This record gives sequence, C-alpha cells and structure tokens, in this order.
Amino acid sequence: MHATETLFQTLATAAPQASPPQGPGWAMLIPALPLIGCVLAGLCAAFKVKSKFPAWLSVGCLATSFALTLNLYLQHFSGGNGPVLITTAFEWINLQWGPAEGQQLVANFGFYLDSLTVLWMLFVTGLATLIALYASEYMSHDVGAGYCRFFAAFNLFVFSMACLVMADNLLLLYLGWEGVGLCSYLLIGYFYKKPSAVAAAKKAFIVNRIGDLFLALGIFLTFVHFGSVEYAVIFEKAAPYIASLQAGNLDQIPAVVQLIPLLLMVGAFGKSAQLPLYVWLPDAMEGPTPVSALIHAATMVTAGVFLIARTYPLFLLSDHALPIVGWVGALTALFAATIGMAQFDIKRIMAYSTVSQLGYMFAGLAVLTPSGGAAHVFTHAFFKAMLFLSCGAVMHGFAGQLDLRKLSGVGKLPGWKVVNIAMLVGCLNLAGFPLITAGYWSKDLILGEAFANPHTAAIGWILLLTAGLTAYYTFRVYFRVFMGPVSFEPGDENHDAAHAAHGHDAAHAAAHSHTTHDASPPLAEAQVEAEHPHAHTPHPAHQDFHPHAPGWAINTVLATLAIASFAAIFAVHSFGSSPSWLESMVGGSSAHYTGVAAYQAAHESHATPAATPSTADATPGNDPVPTTPESGLTTPDTHADAHAHGNHQLFFGFDAHKALMVVSGVVGAIGIFFAWLLHLRGRTTAAYSDADKLIPALGPIPKLAQHKWYIDEIYDALIRRPLRGLAHAFHLIDQFLVDGLVNIFGALPRWVGATVRPSQSGEMHGYALGMAGGIAVLLVIVLLASN
Amino acid sequence: MMTHFLAQTGFPEPMAAITLAHYLFVSAVMFILGIIGFISRRNLIIMFLCTELMFQAAGIALVAFGRYHLNFTGQTFVIFVLTVAAAEAAMGLALVVLLFRRKESLDAQVWKDMKG
Amino acid sequence: MDTILNPFLLYGLIALGAIGVCIALPRRKGGPQIFGALIAAAAGGLAVAFLTLKAGKDFPNVYFYIFSGVALGAALRVITHPRPVYAALYFILTIIATAGLFLILSAEFMAFALVIVYAGAILITYLFVIMLATQAPEEDEIEVLTDYDASAREPIAATVVGFLLLAVLTTLLFRGVNQLPPIPINRTDGLLADMPRKVDRVLRNHGVLNEGQTAKVILTDDGRLEAIQISANDGADVFALPRDQWPAELPVKNVEALGFNLLRDHPGTIEIAGVILLMAMLGAVVLSRKQVQLDEDAKLKQARLLSDDVEGNEGTAAAQTPSFARPTGGIPR
Repeated sequence: MHATETLFQTLATAAPQASPPQGPGWAMLIPALPLIGCVLAGLCAAFKVKSKFPAWLSVGCLATSFALTLNLYLQHFSGGNGPVLITTAFEWINLQWGPAEGQQLVANFGFYLDSLTVLWMLFVTGLATLIALYASEYMSHDVGAGYCRFFAAFNLFVFSMACLVMADNLLLLYLGWEGVGLCSYLLIGYFYKKPSAVAAAKKAFIVNRIGDLFLALGIFLTFVHFGSVEYAVIFEKAAPYIASLQAGNLDQIPAVVQLIPLLLMVGAFGKSAQLPLYVWLPDAMEGPTPVSALIHAATMVTAGVFLIARTYPLFLLSDHALPIVGWVGALTALFAATIGMAQFDIKRIMAYSTVSQLGYMFAGLAVLTPSGGAAHVFTHAFFKAMLFLSCGAVMHGFAGQLDLRKLSGVGKLPGWKVVNIAMLVGCLNLAGFPLITAGYWSKDLILGEAFANPHTAAIGWILLLTAGLTAYYTFRVYFRVFMGPVSFEPGDENHDAAHAAHGHDAAHAAAHSHTTHDASPPLAEAQVEAEHPHAHTPHPAHQDFHPHAPGWAINTVLATLAIASFAAIFAVHSFGSSPSWLESMVGGSSAHYTGVAAYQAAHESHATPAATPSTADATPGNDPVPTTPESGLTTPDTHADAHAHGNHQLFFGFDAHKALMVVSGVVGAIGIFFAWLLHLRGRTTAAYSDADKLIPALGPIPKLAQHKWYIDEIYDALIRRPLRGLAHAFHLIDQFLVDGLVNIFGALPRWVGATVRPSQSGEMHGYALGMAGGIAVLLVIVLLASN
Repeated sequence: MMTHFLAQTGFPEPMAAITLAHYLFVSAVMFILGIIGFISRRNLIIMFLCTELMFQAAGIALVAFGRYHLNFTGQTFVIFVLTVAAAEAAMGLALVVLLFRRKESLDAQVWKDMKG
Repeated sequence: MDTILNPFLLYGLIALGAIGVCIALPRRKGGPQIFGALIAAAAGGLAVAFLTLKAGKDFPNVYFYIFSGVALGAALRVITHPRPVYAALYFILTIIATAGLFLILSAEFMAFALVIVYAGAILITYLFVIMLATQAPEEDEIEVLTDYDASAREPIAATVVGFLLLAVLTTLLFRGVNQLPPIPINRTDGLLADMPRKVDRVLRNHGVLNEGQTAKVILTDDGRLEAIQISANDGADVFALPRDQWPAELPVKNVEALGFNLLRDHPGTIEIAGVILLMAMLGAVVLSRKQVQLDEDAKLKQARLLSDDVEGNEGTAAAQTPSFARPTGGIPR
C-alpha cells in the first residue's frame, strides 16, 4: 500500500484549509479501498480469472471499508454529535487568479467527516458488503470477464458514492455524483447485448444529466456568490444570512442565495428520481438485481436526499425551495404509487415503490425534519435492499420469471423459507406495519411532522393516502407471489429446459388427469418437484424445470438484512427523553444547522425539531411516559420544542404526532386488508385474482396506470421528437450550410479557373485583343483619374 | 499658297497647334485601324501588314511633331523607325514562310499549341 | 480653348466610325462592306471637318485633306479586303498618301525615303511572300478564297476595343495639344554657317561672289542667320550682302538639315541601325536556308503537268502549286 504512505505524507505536510480540525489520516482509506478493489477486479479481468475470486476481493475490500467506517464512528462520533473533521487526501485543484477573495478556487480531495457523513457511509459500506456477497452467488453464472467487469464497476460505484458523501467541497461531490451516474450506466447496461438494457442505461444517464446540469449551475452560482466551493467556507459565509433569518429579516438575503437551492434541488430530483425526472428508475431494473438493490434502492438514489441534507442551511435561506421540494416529493410519492398498483413485473413494482419512498424522504426534508428524512433513508435502505434481493432470488430461481401472474405460492416451496421470511419482513416495513417495523417509525416521523405544521398539512394528507396505497400494492406482490396455490412458470432464460418443462407438465397433467378440482395439477407437480429438490445444479443438465432455490450466500445476506431491519427500529426511534441515535447523528451535522428554528420563526411556521446541539437538551414539553419498545407512545424529544412554541396544528383535536401514529398504522392495516381481500382470498390460480373482477368497474384508470400514465410517451412526443426534428434540421444545416460553405471555398478556385481558363486559348488574336483591351481600359482609367 | 507650305527650305513658318491636331488625329485613326486589322484578320501576312500600318501612323505623328517643334529629330527618328520596320518585316516574313511550311496554312488560329 | 472638340461630338463620331468599320470588316457571306465603308468615311470626314471649323484661319492645306482622306480610306481597305494581294496593294496606296502628307510637312526626304524603302522594298517583299504562301487551289475551285481570309474574327470586339482606344487617344491628344509649349524660334538657317562651301558655290553660281571675294555667314547670338558678309580675300572691303540679293537656293534644304541632324546629333544611332540591318539580313538568310531538293520524278511530273495545263485545264490543277513552295521528302518539317 505504497499509495497510502504517500498519502500520509501529503497529509502531514498539508496545512488545514479551514477552521475544522484535521481528521484521521486513515479515513481516506474508506473511499480508497473500493477503488483498489476496482483496480484489482480490472486486473482479474486482464488475467482472465474465471473463478469467484473478484467477488471475494470486492467483499474483502468493502468489508474493510465498513470496518474502518465503524472505527471512525466509534472513535469520534459515538456520542452522536461529533465534531467536524476534515481529512485531505491530496491537493486537487488550487487556482488563484487574483488577490481578491473571490478569485481563488480551492477544491481538494478532502473528506468532510461529520456525523451525517458517517451515518451515510455506515449503511453505504455495510450494504455494499452484503450485496457484494449476494452478487457473488447471483452473478455466478457469468464467471469470467463479465464477472470481473461487474465487480469492477461495483467497486467503482462505491468509491464514487464515498466521494460524493465524504466530499468536503462541492466539486468533489460533483465528481462523485458523475461517478455514480457513470457506474449506474455501466451496471444497468451490464447485459450489453440486450437492446432494452442498453436503452435503459442510456435513458438513466441522459435523464440524470439533465439534473446534473442544474447541479452544476448551482455549484457555479455558489462559487460566484460565496467565493468558494468548500463546505466549511460556505457555511461560514452563510452564517450572516442565517443570522438575518433568525432575526426575521428575510429580505436581507439576496436573491442569488435563494436561487442556489432551487438549482441544487433539480439536480437532486434527477439523481433521486422525482417528478419529472423519475422515468429512468423503472427502466433501470434491466440491470442485474444486486445493482438494483444497491444502487437504485439504497445508495445512489439517496444521493439527492444527501445533497439537500448537506446543504440544508442554503435551503433554509430560500423562501420557495423547501416547499417545492415538499410538493414534488409528495406528488411523486402518490404518482408512483398509483403506477405501482397496476404493474405486473415485481421488480418494476419495487422500483416504483422506491420512487414513491424517495418522495417521502424529500417530503420529510421539506417539512423540516431532516432527521425524519434521513431516518427513512436509513430504514428504506435496508428493507428495500432486502425486497430487491428477494425478488432477485425469485428471478434467479425461476429463470428470469418476474411476472406475478405467473408465479404463486413460492413461499411454500422448500428451500425458499428464508426468502419468504425476508420478503415478508420487507413488505411489512414498506407497508409500515405498526410498531414492529422500522419503516413504520421512520414514516411516522415524516407524517407526524407534516401534520404538525398547518402549512404542510396538505402534503401530509397526500402522504397518508400514499401510505395506504403502498401497503396495498406491497402486499399485492407478497400475496400473489409468495402465498396462495403453488404454481409457476419459468421465465425466458430457461431456454433449454423450456420444452422439456412443458413436456413434463403435459406428462404430469396426463398422469393426473383424474383431477376434479383446480389446484391439483400444479400441486401434483409441486409435490413431484418437492420430492427431489434441486439446488445449485446448472440448468442444461435438467430435463425439466426445477426452481433454483437460493444458496447460502443469498440466504445469509437476506437473513442479515432482516435482522438489521429490526435493529433499525432502535436506531430510528428513541425510547426515552433523549433523541434517537439517528436524530443525534443528523442533528450534529450541517443538516441540522442553527437555522431551522429561525426558519420556522421567520416563515411563521411552528413546531420545529430541535435546531442546534445546544438546544437539543431543551425542556421536554410532554410528560415522559414509561417507555417500552413496543409502546412507542413517547414522542422523541426532538419535537419537544415544538410544543414549547405552542399553537401547532392539531390533528382533529389530537396531538399530531400521537394521532398519526395511530392513523398511519390503521391506514397501513387497511391497505393490507384490501390486498388480502383481492389477491389472496379465494385465489386459485397464479394468473387471476379477485382484483381482476374489479378492474372494469374502475374505467380507464387501471389501463392508464398500467401504462405508467403514458409519461414516457408524453416525453417522447414533447421532448424527444422535437429534439429529433431539431437534430435533423441541424443536420441539414450542417450538410448544406456548413458543408456548403466549405465546399464553396473548395469550388471557388475551380469556378474562377473555369472562368479564366478560356482566355488561355492559345490563339494569338485572343491575346492581342486582351492586350489592346487592357491598354484601352488602363488609358480610360488614367483619363478619368486625371480629370 | 502651294509654295507657302511646300517649303523648299526647312520650316519657314511655324505651324499652328490646331493644325498639329489635324495631323495627330489622322495618325491616331490610322493607328487604330491598324490595331483593328491586327485583331480581326486571321491571315498572318495581313496581320503583319497591319503592324506596318501602325508604323506608318507612328511615322506621321513623329514628323508632325518634328514640324511643330521645328526640330529635325522627328524625321531622324522616322528614319530609324523605317529601318527597324524593314528589318522586322524581313524577319517576320521569313518566319511566316516557315510557319506556313509547317501547317500549310496561313491561318493564325491553327497555332493553338499553347492552349490551356 | 478648353477642348478642341466637344467630347460628345467626338465620341459620337467615333461611335459612328466604329459601326462603320465593323460593318466594313469582311465576313463569310459577303455583307454590306461598302455601306460600312461609307459610314466610316462619313464619320472620319465629319470629324476632320469639325476640327477645321474649330481651326478658324489656321486650317491646313487642301492637300492635307486629299492626302489624309486617301490614306485613311486605303488603310480601311487594307484591313477589310478579303484578298491578301489587294490588301498589300492598298497598303502601297496608303504609303504614297502618307508620303504626300510628309511633303506637306516639309519632310521631303522622308517622303521619298518612305516611297523607296517601304513601298519599293518592304511591300514588294510582302507581295512575294503572299504569293509564296498561298495554298494551292482544289481541283474544282481554281480561285478559292480561304476561310481565314474571308471572315474577320470577332469584328465587334476588335472594333469596340479599337475605337475605345481611339476615343481615349484623341481625348488625351487634344488635351495635350492644348498644353503644348510655345513654338521655338526657327534656327535652321543657322546651319549655313556649317556649309561654307555651299554658300560659296551658290553665290558664285549666281554671280554674287566674284573672284577674290570670300563669303562668310554671320550668326546672331542665339544661332540664327543674321547676315552674309562678303569681303575680299585679304579681308578688305567687307560688306553685308543685302537680303534681296540672296539667291533662292541659299536657304538650308531639308535634306541638308536632316543630314546634319542625323550625322552630327545622332551618330551612334546610325551605327546601331546599320547593325540592325545587318542582323536582319543574316537572320533572313539563316531562316530561309532550307535545301529544297526536288527529285527527278517530281521534276518530270511537274513539267508534264505544266504542259498539260497549257492545253486545257484538267483536274490536276491541284499540282499548280509552285514547286519551290513545297519541299518534297527528306526535308524535316
């Protein structure tokens, strides 16, 4: 690790750039290790390694990175609110073109270590390790160059994400931002021979690009106004604005500063798939499932949330930024939920649920609970990853089959127990089943805060409705796929055994032709299958189709995630008067800068969470109730000050937080009930359920929802076609005008020559005439000139 | 009147400027006729003849000026012009004969080897 | 006077002349050449007439008009006649008219030198070459006018350019004439001082000078003839010969003056002229030094043809070409 030594040396000689103290030098290994993993995986590709060695390398690097992050947490931030430390790896950009203050651009490869960073890095590296382990088995059919390529891109992604999260300046964040976009492109397009995958990769990249443009503009504007792109300097310079915010003088904040968050937020929308830039995320499911799980559930899509949380002080300074974020988030949540209700591809449903939940996170940030938003990020990362990995296990086992009309009763098959439980836990979290799931608590933080504030009550109602829809469609998936009669069809990847499977089915059907009730042929087949379960045998050796039960790696990861989902309850919810662990982590960072309370006061809103670490231990306004993990009737102390401000919205006469705990639980239960009613009760086949009888009664809505409200088609007509036309026009301009101009320059000598050449006729008379004519003209000129 | 102008001696009386203009006009017209003939006729020998016509015109102009300025150099120069014209005519005609032998035609337009 | 001729008038006449010349130039179908000649003549005549009107009392001699008219008319015919021989002959006419013009201008030597040298030598050479270089006529066309003789090439362009040049020339010319310096004093007679023997001979022939008397020419300070002094041989009895007793032959003649000018003031030029003539002669000899070898068969054939032709014109008129004009084989072309 010679590189590390040189890094240490540069660190030793580098002077601290800003006032925060120097962080530990080994912290730069946290992003460096995935990068090393990427390089090693690339070398494996060069050396044509054909085993699972790259996977173990990746898991090793990522696990070490996670261990280092844990160490960092324990050493510096275990109390929650830790100091801000900056570790500089090396000097990257240092330009000075003038003596004045705004004429220097410093952007070092430095890492801004505060509790928000550590929180994010903990789950990023942790999930990356687990999912790398999962992918080692999931991608095992592709060992060789593809395997190495996958892990190289995977590691590069983690490195980019680490740069994004740990950056101490906006330029490094942008580097990471672009890096994750690139890796997303590489990984979605992993199956590059499939046109749909390539198209999806391009779509993701291009739509992200639109957001990235606005992010870049925001960074430019930040530099122009604040004279620096480093967080420390920006926050320092923003302090006067915060002060004027606290004093209630909003008009002292210049319009430029108010514009910055508006630009940054569009970038966040692009990366985190909010309206209108969400269209890439469902198509991104073309990539392998580990990719979907890590990137499009847990890490990359939360980059937008992270950006807003990191630059929260700037967002507070703007009048309109946070309300726009809130509305966009809420509408996205509702919109995506409606689409998810009508899809049949389970991964797509999960993708839309990701979009929907991201909307929740943004709404959380907007209703001034950045800790609520971060909490939802945290819990969502675990349970969504778990959901995706379970779907992936199903896909892996059933040769690519993902249509819930073709799968049923998977949970009853042997070898699928762990997947079944993991799926159930994930679905419960996603639906927000009361009390026992972390998803419930984190969602409740957001909902409660939304209703506690009269201005955001509308957002709250939308989110509540969405919660019900979420519960419905989540359990629709679970009840259709994992419960009910056992019946399945293999997917498209099962080419060799397809015919044999059909033959087998036909034979079984003939053998059991005495069936009188519906369930027997599939059940009989399932019984036959159950007698000889297969696990880990390659497909071509099979004569008939057996579902491929997951191996130890997948099961281990799913189990770990399930346990982590439960453990997250303790991280997110505080059971005493002190703030929860997550609350304190977020509270000690820039996301909970001193301005929040002032924002509330200045914007005449009420009920803010605790603003500063100094006010974190304010007097609680409620009587502490004896706490048990299950009762959850204690409100976290972060809301204490809310009551101290008095006069906050009551939810139909009850205290908002407590009421919402009950209401959201009820809403979730109702959703689950309807799902059971329509999709499990009395269902005998995989393909149809009672819901299908309901569809005609709803008119055109289900059709529209199934077609994703034709958003892609609208974009095609509104944006792609005009751009295409423009491109054609430019092509014509290029061909005729530009090329024409150049050709004219080429043709000009030719024309001149063709015009002049006849004068060289070789005939004496022509020359004589020319001579005489020339003299005549000359003399005329002399005559006229001498007049 | 005849003897008035046909002087037996050199230049008894000065010539008026307007009279000079007459002679010069004649010289100019003859010169132009020579040019037109040179450009428009195709026979090589006629073209040479037209150059001789131009010499004639130059001679008239020279003598007229000499008479006007009462200077004999004009006439002297015409002698030399004559000499040169004779030499040129001799050489030119020899060359024309050679050219005719090559192409059997006196047409100036058959000599287009320098075309292009 | 500012301009000798009104510019519009001048250019109008020039345009008229241009049209005339253009029509007069030969064309294949034999157009109205005479008509064009008339127009050109009219234009030229009008121009000279206007000049004369402008001249007032200083108009030139009538012989000027005659000679210049003949000269210009013949020049026009030179360039417009389709047949080369006629063109050469018209040129001779031009030369003669030009010689007449020289006479009016008191340049007698030049006049007859022109006739002798130009008309008598150069043009004869031209005629010889024309006849030498005529293409043999075909069997059925005895007298053929070749295409290149019959038609003029680009008459309009040539005429336009030419008359444009004429317009400019005349404009500049007339403008220049207006600004000529004053006429210098005639000092020709002062040359008598350089010809004592002529003075002596003329005076003796006319009996003005007797034996024992010497004549001496006295010049003024600026070189003009002042008086002729006659004195006795020993210098006594000096008296100036009165002007009415001067013989008519005494004044300096054109030839004498020209001779003095040529040999005294421009001696080198004579040498150079001689060299030029020598070179021309040598060059002509070198260029035309082609061995024309007729073999015996050709000679016999030629003789037979000639004798046939005497009897009657046969189709073999194609062989009428003078044999010396066509070298036979063995001669590199």
